Amino acid sequence: METTETTSLEDSLRRAAIDRSVKGPVLFLFANAALWLLAATVLGLVSSVKLYAPDFLDSDWTWFLNYARVQPAHMNALIYGWAMQAGMGTMIWLMARRTGQLLKGGSTVIVATVFWNIAVTLGLLAILFTGTTSMQWLEFPKYLWPIFSISFLMIATRLVGMFARAKNEGEGFVITTYYILGACFWFPWIYLTANLFLHCFAPTLNGATAAGINAWYVSSLILLFFVPVGLGACYYFIPKITGQPIHSNQLSTLGFWGLAILGGWTGFQKYMGGPLPAWMPTIGGAVMLLLLVPAGIVALNFHISTEGRHSLIQSSPTLRFVFVGSFCYLALSAVGALLGTFWTGSLLQFTYAEYGFHILAIYGFFSMTMFGAIYYIVPRLSGCEWLSARLIRSHFWFSVYGTAALVVCMLLGGLAQGASINAPGNWDLPFVGSITNARGYLIGRTIAWAFILWSNAWFFIHLVLMVLGLGRRSVAPTLLHHDESHAPVTA
Amino acid sequence: MTSLRKFVIGITISFGLPWLVLIVVPAISAQKLNTLAYDKERDGIDGVYPGTGIYRQGQLIYAKEGCTQCHTQMIRPGFAGMIDPWKKGWGSDQTPIPSQPTRESTQRDYMYEPYAFLGVQRNGPDLTNVGYRLADKSRSEIHAHLYSPQSVNKWSIMPSFRHLYKVQPIQGNGSPKALPLSADFMPLKGFEVVPSAEAEELVTYLLSLKKDAPLPGHVVAETTAKK
Repeated sequence: METTETTSLEDSLRRAAIDRSVKGPVLFLFANAALWLLAATVLGLVSSVKLYAPDFLDSDWTWFLNYARVQPAHMNALIYGWAMQAGMGTMIWLMARRTGQLLKGGSTVIVATVFWNIAVTLGLLAILFTGTTSMQWLEFPKYLWPIFSISFLMIATRLVGMFARAKNEGEGFVITTYYILGACFWFPWIYLTANLFLHCFAPTLNGATAAGINAWYVSSLILLFFVPVGLGACYYFIPKITGQPIHSNQLSTLGFWGLAILGGWTGFQKYMGGPLPAWMPTIGGAVMLLLLVPAGIVALNFHISTEGRHSLIQSSPTLRFVFVGSFCYLALSAVGALLGTFWTGSLLQFTYAEYGFHILAIYGFFSMTMFGAIYYIVPRLSGCEWLSARLIRSHFWFSVYGTAALVVCMLLGGLAQGASINAPGNWDLPFVGSITNARGYLIGRTIAWAFILWSNAWFFIHLVLMVLGLGRRSVAPTLLHHDESHAPVTA
Repeated sequence: MTSLRKFVIGITISFGLPWLVLIVVPAISAQKLNTLAYDKERDGIDGVYPGTGIYRQGQLIYAKEGCTQCHTQMIRPGFAGMIDPWKKGWGSDQTPIPSQPTRESTQRDYMYEPYAFLGVQRNGPDLTNVGYRLADKSRSEIHAHLYSPQSVNKWSIMPSFRHLYKVQPIQGNGSPKALPLSADFMPLKGFEVVPSAEAEELVTYLLSLKKDAPLPGHVVAETTAKK
């Protein structure tokens, strides 16, 4: 008995030491991320209005707010400002907890974060005021990519270092670390490849090949950075909160290697029927279909692991967000397959449906899991509890309704737009058909972003108060329903 | 350490394979792509395909302004429900009923561009062959479209690119380059709108977009069909 008590005391001390070592960098990443999320949401709201009312905010001095600049600014703020930084913060904390290692060189991480944020700021100002590169998701001016690469590598090397040290001490290798370590390798590889080919080797390339590489970058970033980090978080929080181990290690491993083997093949399907050799989009589309297999495996594993504990969603904010996120993984795989196959893809190609897919991936899946992670991690680092269950609840519901409305509107709007573009009867008509067809869905898109803006504004305020240490001083976590039967469960 | 090594090897192989097959090898083979010569006897014309490139200086403005967010430059083939080749005015033949469907885009069409702006979305019409579509318009009419899209099509959702234009007081008979705007879209009485150098570059680029030169070996079929 005595030994267990000492171990648990040692464990607690160890955990406290780990949390102290990651506190500064992780909270700094989260606070910056939340600010960019707010900025991205405002830009998303503005750009959505521009699509049916181009004269909105269009005076002589707001010329830079036209759709062609606001839309890329919105996506880049969402991806590099919010999603990547929230992802890196979560990666650090999960890796430290999972390997049981302290974060060494936390100040390096803070320096990297500062440079990352300077680069995002410069990039967004450049998009709005001096113009974009017109390469999707790489619209930042080309002098910024070395800063992003080096900043990420500075953080990724810490994570790999933690992992390597843990192995020396014989710690177990679990699925969360697989995913996070994978993301540490994949992102630099994808990002460097895309930037080197598009910015440095481009003059020697064929233009169409370069466009294909860009499409590959977008798809790979979703499948080999956002998906693994999001799933890594799900695999940590689901067993932690439900108190039940992950059902099957074999299924977990299969899901991981399925994604690793298939993830790099997609992207070219964006230009199906285009100038690239036909086998490239064909492989992309086929692999998008095959990716339903690892997605199904992961979903099945989660489902069995949470069997009988679904009611915990009532009380735990983290589990709620993670649950929605993991459901969206299945949804995004299905939508990706629809966009990728020639049968439906040719109808949805170049329509709002692609934007819907990106929002489903970055917001519905990734951001939701990150919100879950943040609700779990921040109280442990800041030493205080979330102020208000009501704020968390309204953040959750406005996000869920907003994202669901946004994705549904964009998929249906894309269908309406594509149907008009491809209708044989419209062959000699001006382009007005696809504009009027999609109009209603675009107004829906604005309402959805307004919902999301409302939820994110409160999330930002709530998070900043927590980071400043102004949360509730209490030993009891902030749960959504104070039900005695769930009392011992940590949120 | 061994499991880290195994993991890294696993990742390298699983991701390195698609990386080589989809990125590196096609990039190298794309460099070997060269022009094709027309055969005078077979095709009835001289020269090489693709002949002239696009106006690169203006393409930089096209990229900078983010036109690709809403405009594609890619004619898809006419099957699986896609009707790009039959869209009126999307090819070289601007007559109401062209004798030939527009040719789908090929890799060589983009040979002279470091990056092909195939497009993010198609919220506006395709611009692959817009040079033909604009041929019967004066440059200042095209400028008027860029300055105030709604003055051309009331329903248009295209943003105004007015920051590429200068509003200046009319002196004498006014600038010969002044945009032919209707009264509703004029800035102020006594003022006129003239294009900047950048706007001129952009229009020259748009006029240079003619990517439907016949493919060598496929010309005869087209000319016979026209007769």
